[in-house]
Amino acid sequence: MLEGAELYFNVDHGYLEGLVRGCKASLLTQQDYINLVQCETLEDLKIHLQTTDYGNFLANQTNPLTVSKIDTEMRKRLCGEFEYFRNHSLEPLSTFLTYMTCSYMIDNVILLMNGALQKKSVKEILGKCHPLGRFTEMEAVNIAETPSDLFNAILIETPLAPFFQDCMSENALDELNIELLRNKLYKSYLEAFYKFCKNHGDVTADVMCPILEFEADRRAFIITLNSFGTELSKEDRETLYPTFGKLYPEGLRLLAQAEDFDQMKNVADHYGVYKPLFEAVGGSGGKTLEDVFYEREVQMNVLAFNRQFHYGVFYAYVKLKEQEMRNIVWIAECISQRHRTKINSYIPIL
Amino acid sequence: MGSMFRSEEVALVQLFLPTAAAYTCVSRLGELGLVEFRDLNASVSAFQRRFVVDVRRCEELEKTFTFLQEEVRRAGLVLLPPEGRLPAPPPRDLLRIQEETERLAQELRDVRGNQQALRAQLHQLQLHAAVLGQGHGPQLAAAHTDATSERMPLLQAPGGPHQDLRVNFVAGAVEPHKAPALERLLWRACRGFLIASFRELEQPLEHPVTGEPATWMTFLISYWGEQIGQKIRKITDCFHCHVFPFLEQEEARRGALRQLQQQSQELQEVLGETERFLSQVLGRVLQLLPPGQVQVHKMKAVYLALNQCSVSTTHKCLIAEAWCSVRDLPALQEALRDSSTEEGVSAVAHRIPCRDMPPTLIRTNRFTASFQGIVDAYGVGRYQEVNPAPYTIITFPFLFAVMFGDVGHGLLMFLFALAMVLAENRPAVKAAQNEIWQTFFRGRYLLLLMGLFSIYTGFIYNECFSRATSIFPSGWSVAAMANQSGWSDAFLAQHATLTLDPNVTGVFLGPYPFGIDPVWSLAANHLSFLNSFKMKMSVILGVVHMAFGVVLGVFNHVHFGQKHRLLLETLPELTFLLGLFGYLVFLVIYKWLCVSAASAASAPSILIHFINMFLFSHSPTNRPLYPRQEVVQATLVVLALAMVPVLLLGTPLHLLRRHRPHLRRRPAGRQEEDKAGLLDLPDASVNGWSSDEEKAGGLDDEEEAELVPSEVLMHQAIHTIEFCLGCVSNTASYLRLWALSLAHAQLSEVLWAMVMSIGLGLSREVGVAAVVLVPIFAAFAVMTVVILLVMEGLSAFLHALRLHWVEFQNKFYSGTGYRLSPFTFAATDD
Repeated sequence: MLEGAELYFNVDHGYLEGLVRGCKASLLTQQDYINLVQCETLEDLKIHLQTTDYGNFLANQTNPLTVSKIDTEMRKRLCGEFEYFRNHSLEPLSTFLTYMTCSYMIDNVILLMNGALQKKSVKEILGKCHPLGRFTEMEAVNIAETPSDLFNAILIETPLAPFFQDCMSENALDELNIELLRNKLYKSYLEAFYKFCKNHGDVTADVMCPILEFEADRRAFIITLNSFGTELSKEDRETLYPTFGKLYPEGLRLLAQAEDFDQMKNVADHYGVYKPLFEAVGGSGGKTLEDVFYEREVQMNVLAFNRQFHYGVFYAYVKLKEQEMRNIVWIAECISQRHRTKINSYIPIL
Repeated sequence: MGSMFRSEEVALVQLFLPTAAAYTCVSRLGELGLVEFRDLNASVSAFQRRFVVDVRRCEELEKTFTFLQEEVRRAGLVLLPPEGRLPAPPPRDLLRIQEETERLAQELRDVRGNQQALRAQLHQLQLHAAVLGQGHGPQLAAAHTDATSERMPLLQAPGGPHQDLRVNFVAGAVEPHKAPALERLLWRACRGFLIASFRELEQPLEHPVTGEPATWMTFLISYWGEQIGQKIRKITDCFHCHVFPFLEQEEARRGALRQLQQQSQELQEVLGETERFLSQVLGRVLQLLPPGQVQVHKMKAVYLALNQCSVSTTHKCLIAEAWCSVRDLPALQEALRDSSTEEGVSAVAHRIPCRDMPPTLIRTNRFTASFQGIVDAYGVGRYQEVNPAPYTIITFPFLFAVMFGDVGHGLLMFLFALAMVLAENRPAVKAAQNEIWQTFFRGRYLLLLMGLFSIYTGFIYNECFSRATSIFPSGWSVAAMANQSGWSDAFLAQHATLTLDPNVTGVFLGPYPFGIDPVWSLAANHLSFLNSFKMKMSVILGVVHMAFGVVLGVFNHVHFGQKHRLLLETLPELTFLLGLFGYLVFLVIYKWLCVSAASAASAPSILIHFINMFLFSHSPTNRPLYPRQEVVQATLVVLALAMVPVLLLGTPLHLLRRHRPHLRRRPAGRQEEDKAGLLDLPDASVNGWSSDEEKAGGLDDEEEAELVPSEVLMHQAIHTIEFCLGCVSNTASYLRLWALSLAHAQLSEVLWAMVMSIGLGLSREVGVAAVVLVPIFAAFAVMTVVILLVMEGLSAFLHALRLHWVEFQNKFYSGTGYRLSPFTFAATDD
């Protein structure tokens, strides 16, 4: 792509960028959160949400209101917005948006396979699937017995197909293999997405690459953390790390050798970006590593809006909206379980 | 009509509403639409207010109403608006309405559910029948025998019983858009161990939920082996296919088909019954819904208003604060009395003093509304400031007409507006939803006057569709000129243009009685004559209009008790404007009156005179208009320039001087000073709240103490610069009157010359001419309407609007108020 997106970006994507910026402006403000936290019941929460841009989205819900209903409706709303973006997008933005849905599709496929393994009914699991990652063939996932089966029969026509090249195997799909499959898929997905953004160049690359690099590093950390005390060998672990990002390659090699959290922290200390994050863990308010990463993600996504003429705003908006939904669900859970002491540990979107 | 000149007096009233009667009182006020409630609980969030439970109940009810409405809409019925005015129901009725609605909704839900289930069942039956009757049979049988003949011929004869055991079928229907994906997935997942045949249904079936016709693809899959069968079933499940048992024997299938048809017939009868019952229920909904909706809407509005009230310390009554026009106070009192006597208690309203600026209330009728709208579009007037709308009624159409002057065009516009005015009471016209139409319709009286004035100015310009009319005999005589100068026929034939000299006796007999002499339309210098006239006219109109604006400021100053501004602002402003530009107007009129054709050769140039006036010089070639002209001019310029410092420094110095003794005396006798301050204020209302009086007085003083000299000076400097430069630029701005009217005249001239006059000159034979003229006239008419009436009209409207908003209103109108928006049910009633 030629440099100088300013010249022609708006011809194809100006409308959608304006729209997404408008949507971003409708995110809940600090004041809204303060009001939400004060709610006594879910009904109050609903009334307050009505005064924000969420409007009457819960109006047609039958009583009693539950957290899962709120969650589902919010997801539906986000999905509606995203579908609108997608239906009005032109290349290469539509490819970009497809890439964005892929992560949800991976999650859904894995979720279904896990469900099939535990002999749960497909309907039940479908309810838990993220609507952004829905596709027609999804429900047929449980007929597959091996990854190559899965690929050949079901996923070959979906956007997920290219990510499968690394994980074709004839192993039976047990729990560990599914988890490995998920991580491998995610790895090749992230790499492909990163490559796409890099090749696209311009502001999109400037904005998206750091975000994706952070995402890759976060995955590496989380994989490491989750593999402590499991039968996953260190070599296998290393194959799951996405091969780009700030940690690549030195940090990843070190991470592969890490055996407990402290060693992981030592690795992170070599990196100016991650050192403060690890230091914040467990500090005031008992933050978990996950929280810290979420906060960092929110920061990066908010910064994405400071530049114009790039696709990163779409990614950032969806991520911010997701964070907002997590916050609302958190607050709603705290309210419904009368567990008010932790209600303030949502992650503010600045 | 008196209230048009400035907004009505509005007072803050405190209403004490006894708890028992609060609801009825507020509901009555909503019907009358007299008061605007102030939110006394702004700091309380929406769900912590007093009547939130009632509001929520109303919302619940509205939700049910929405459901019912949706059902009615789906049944293709139209809800009629309720007849008559329905008051907000008493609170105890809410339960009854709620119960009734709930019952009806439940009934409707049941019936609808039944109907839905029946239809789904019927749909299934129809699909099944379609699958069976689709005729996959013979084709499949062929494929079947083919397949077997390839594999089995050596072992067994085709058609043997053994082979039938091993072939199984899955038959069903799927939505067409999923069919290709399904087919591919089946093929891939089962590695081709199956034969699938897909076929589109010939006639679309009704969708059981939406009732829309939808086509389906039926399919028949034959496969070998049980494992594959399971896979196929899973796959068809995941595509949400309808799968039906498919009997292998042709005979059995036919039997099943007959049975299905019979079943579906029975089902259809039942369905018919259900639908009849459904329409009965819907009929009841139709009766109940519209009044219920209005009532509950009102009820919710009442509770929302009550939520804005605060509770008295004794919990016996609610206290509301509201803005109310002073004229409506008796009506308010009466309404409160009426609606509270039933409960045996009385609600009270009394005025309280207020430091906030009250809202602006100007009552309009259907005639004045559009003119007030023009003013309000710029900004709603400050409380009690002079309202430009009554003057706009005349000046706006007039300035428009100056730019749009043409008898024909004006007449068309007038007739269009007249038609709207005459038809305004017809319901069809009122109910029209078209936005553009509504815009025109709301401005019908404005259009009427604009058309009327355009006819008038059209007569002045003597133009009707760009043609001049000679109603009176022309004041110029060509015969006299020809006789006097002895033009021969040969001379006339040689010269295309000849000059009429008004100095020759008998040629110019006197001015035309009204407007421009039609003879000018023949003249070669028609345009330069009109230009001179229109330019001067524009300047005269502009200066008069602006001076009028400055004079209107006087009423503001007098009303607000700022007498010093009369002397320090209005007077300098008027002197400046009239001394410079008023003098220009004088020069123009003086020259019109005193310089005749006889002295035309040596006529003085106003332009040069006016420039020289500022340069304090004089040019020897330019004859003075009157004796001692230079002295007068020098005096005027000096006077006007002297007014600038007065305007710049007068008000700030006056304010500072008045303010300083205040400061000095303050420590001495604060109490008296406070009282005096209060009395000085023209708006401070008499009140019985002694505790508040102190506070108000104190506040007042503090406010005056905040008078920062630099700020006042800065403000006044900006105002001065704006006014003085504005006088120059605004006068020039009025020249748009000339420009637009010139453009309009030229455009209609061009249209006539290029279309109509060519058409008229095309043929001499009557028959041909008549035929040719039809399309030509059609083109002329369409272009006249589209270009000259609509386009030119809009542009002239826009410029008239600008002249009012900028040039006229900035002389006196601040437009920083806010409108009184009373609590009213009117919108709900409509």
